[in-house]
Amino acid sequence: MATMSERPRNVSGAILSRRQFVKAGGALVVGFGLVGPDFLHGETPKTSVLKNSLDPTLLSSWIEVHPDNTVLIRTGKNDFGQGSTFTAYRQIVAEELSLPFEAITTVVQGDTDRTPDGSGAFDFLGRGTPNIRKAAAYTHQALLDLASQRLGVAKDRLSVKDGIVSGSGKSLSYGDLVKDQQLKLTIPVKGDLTSIIGLTIDGNPPMKPVSDYTVIGHSFKNSVIASKVAAKETWATDVRLPGMLHARMVHPKTLGSTLVSAGQVDKSKSPNSRVIVKGNLVGVVAPSEWEAIQAAEQVAGSTKWADWKGLPAHDELYRHLREKGDWASAPVKSSDASKGNVGSAVASSHKKHSASYQLSYMKHAPIGPTMAVADVQPDGMVHIYTHNQNPQALRGEIAMMLRTEPDHVVVHAYPGPGHYGRSNGGNAGAEDEAVLLSQAVGKPVRVQWMRADDMQWSTQSAAAFSDIQIGIDDQGKMQAYQADHYMPAMQDDRPIGAVLAELPTMPAPNVNNDFVTSTINSISDPWVYAPVANVTERGHGTFQVGQKDSPIAVGLRDHSMRTPVQFQQNYPRELAISEAASIAGADALQFRIDHASEERAIGVLKAVRDASGWETRPSPRPNATAAGAAPVRGRGVSLMLRSGTYWACVCQIAVTPETGKIAVEKYTIAVDPGIVINPLQLKRQVEGGAVMGISHALFEEVMFDESGITQDDWLSYPIATMADVPEVKVVLIHNPKVGAYGGGSEAANALAAPAIAAALHDATGKVVRRLPLKPAYVQEALRG
Amino acid sequence: MIRLNVNGLRRDIQATGDTPLLYVLRNDLELIGPQFGCGLAQCGACAVLVDGKEVRSCITAVASVADKEITTLEGLPGRWAKQKGLSAADAQSTLHPVQQAWIEEQTPQCGFCQNGMMIKATELLEGNPNPTVAQIKEAFTTSGPSPNLCRCGTYVAIIEAVQHAATIMAKGR
Repeated sequence: MATMSERPRNVSGAILSRRQFVKAGGALVVGFGLVGPDFLHGETPKTSVLKNSLDPTLLSSWIEVHPDNTVLIRTGKNDFGQGSTFTAYRQIVAEELSLPFEAITTVVQGDTDRTPDGSGAFDFLGRGTPNIRKAAAYTHQALLDLASQRLGVAKDRLSVKDGIVSGSGKSLSYGDLVKDQQLKLTIPVKGDLTSIIGLTIDGNPPMKPVSDYTVIGHSFKNSVIASKVAAKETWATDVRLPGMLHARMVHPKTLGSTLVSAGQVDKSKSPNSRVIVKGNLVGVVAPSEWEAIQAAEQVAGSTKWADWKGLPAHDELYRHLREKGDWASAPVKSSDASKGNVGSAVASSHKKHSASYQLSYMKHAPIGPTMAVADVQPDGMVHIYTHNQNPQALRGEIAMMLRTEPDHVVVHAYPGPGHYGRSNGGNAGAEDEAVLLSQAVGKPVRVQWMRADDMQWSTQSAAAFSDIQIGIDDQGKMQAYQADHYMPAMQDDRPIGAVLAELPTMPAPNVNNDFVTSTINSISDPWVYAPVANVTERGHGTFQVGQKDSPIAVGLRDHSMRTPVQFQQNYPRELAISEAASIAGADALQFRIDHASEERAIGVLKAVRDASGWETRPSPRPNATAAGAAPVRGRGVSLMLRSGTYWACVCQIAVTPETGKIAVEKYTIAVDPGIVINPLQLKRQVEGGAVMGISHALFEEVMFDESGITQDDWLSYPIATMADVPEVKVVLIHNPKVGAYGGGSEAANALAAPAIAAALHDATGKVVRRLPLKPAYVQEALRG
Repeated sequence: MIRLNVNGLRRDIQATGDTPLLYVLRNDLELIGPQFGCGLAQCGACAVLVDGKEVRSCITAVASVADKEITTLEGLPGRWAKQKGLSAADAQSTLHPVQQAWIEEQTPQCGFCQNGMMIKATELLEGNPNPTVAQIKEAFTTSGPSPNLCRCGTYVAIIEAVQHAATIMAKGR
């Protein structure tokens, strides 16, 4: 009983068409079209459609509603432990469709040929309206439209509960509505699939009122946790293809070395191994992993590289940045909050604070070094199996490297070790190398970096320094604030293997690059002290250190890492605000409340004050001391607004002046993201961010000499252990009147450093304006 | 040929005796619970139990464990079933209390290190059924070749999950 449909109809800006009736099965498939309502007027899509992506003009899908009332969702975003795709996304879709959480049975994510929208594993909640929410809202409207027709009841007189549409005493399930039909819904989409932010659903479909929420706000479990815990999940590390070879890389001796001669495999020891050389890229392949490891070690020992000493000495870093950074090469960016005349306000102020702050390079330091499997097939198709935060962007980079079209590249995404932003611009390392080795040997190749490769050849979070001046009036209020933030480019998305092999990549960071890969340093830490009358915030950017001096254009490559750029600006600001409070003779927490106007900022400050047992008084504490073998205690506070979420943190520490060792004893954090979607998952995320933040604040600093990074393992780059974990208290503020969900999953890592540094001042009376607060640095500063 | 006893089964393998156990487990026996983290016994991602003791499989030559009882993450349910004398049917449907607690507490984030965390927790709880927080911290920090490292910072959740697992184990299932 196949019949053609009636004319397409416009449903809340989406186009619904019933193409035919089918005998069995059927589904409502929410595809996406690139022109939306223009479809009605016969215009052609303006954005090209990539083969091996879901085709927006066909039955490509975000959401499938099945006849058995189950729902499948697809997202280009990949879970890296945030859990959002398996919890929040399911809850959002269930909520918009008025279905139980359990009805969303399948989540397809990441794979470039099975998902629609691209983008990275960040900003999952998309400032309150992730793509999946709009897709669900459009779907809901289409289902209501269908039900209205079938039941003969006006749409505005229908209601839905648990997937049953009712009105005027009649009802139908979603399954009934889609059964035996092939329905297509076309919705408007804009953007560039293989860019860092991918495609965005356009339009404004009606959303469910927050007051009607029943699924959002509950602590549903993350389904992937159960399969990981039971060893039932397939990780990228588990992918094995027929005929696959194992590979290890022999990376250059320095960050500027060109290859002189590659070593040979000792066939008596490694009979089945082979060296592959392409430009300055050297890899060793073997059928067995252990043979590949041993052969690569032996080849590395006999491979000759040109020497290079183009980096500043480590203890010269900040002087080098300040004096030799090419800060005039990128325009200075002022924040939107800048106003008034800071210069005259500081000059006329009653008391002044003026200081510089330094923040180290830090590694993403995933627990598993990066890896990938690539299969370059005889017909030119390239399949990559990897853990990746932005498969579509990786696809574009690999296509560029191979001088082919993205159509020829498919990226298959699997779970992997969290790497906190390192691959949000496409690559984490190893993917491009696996492709080049596979191309060379004509077989699938698995490249696994060793720990030293990951420490020395991955990107890192950029070092930064800031100059801050604050003027305080005779009432003890800030009347002027000026910050100049200096930071080398934070995001180099060139695949390192392609760079070494001298193949095409996007340009190294420069002023003309797009957006995040440019050398321009924008202000990323929203100002939260509106009553201050005179404010200047300026961002100064430049090239990466060593980038222009390295014969292979490498140097210290940087990449955004958890709360990127904002961390580098919030740490100096918040420590300086605590110092200003001290100069004003005020309590640091009350001082912030007195300078904030936003109710939610004040709310998180009051919440963290109550939960931490904060004692209101100025810093430093009475009897503060910077000497002695006995621990001294202190506390500090920090405040941040990020992605629609307000955060405030209190750290209570004990520091031993004689050794400089700091222990965080209690960490309290209050979070107001607006609507809390899943309290347990958010709490776990915040706890994790808290620990990472303590690790950043106390331990983490990339060490290098003039040739490259000198750390190669967990002993030389230590991170927090369980012994470093304090009592952690998380206060979640569910604030439904905000009407949106703010980003909750990443920013907690930024709050610890300024709070701990302020606590150190409270305890000792000395301010250490350099991260990390390693014992040696603290000890030296306390003696000084 | 080397004969191993892994998760209660005899497995014959062809690898050379110096091959680290990790690669044999993952590549030859398709036991993918243990992960490669550092190859240096500095993180714990590759941990397995050898005769009930947590061992880093990335630096353990396979020949050195030929006559020993090896348990991987995959073998924890069977280990628990054997210890409790569960019927075959019950054993099939029961995870180890440590795994149950890890799910109930929603402990992992990326989860890459959690194999080693669950192996360490099992070792701890088999020797100390009711550990204090200090004892848990000691176990995960100083008892092994290195601290068990978690980059996502799930240590708080791990402590809670170990305590929860102790409760489940005390109830006997």
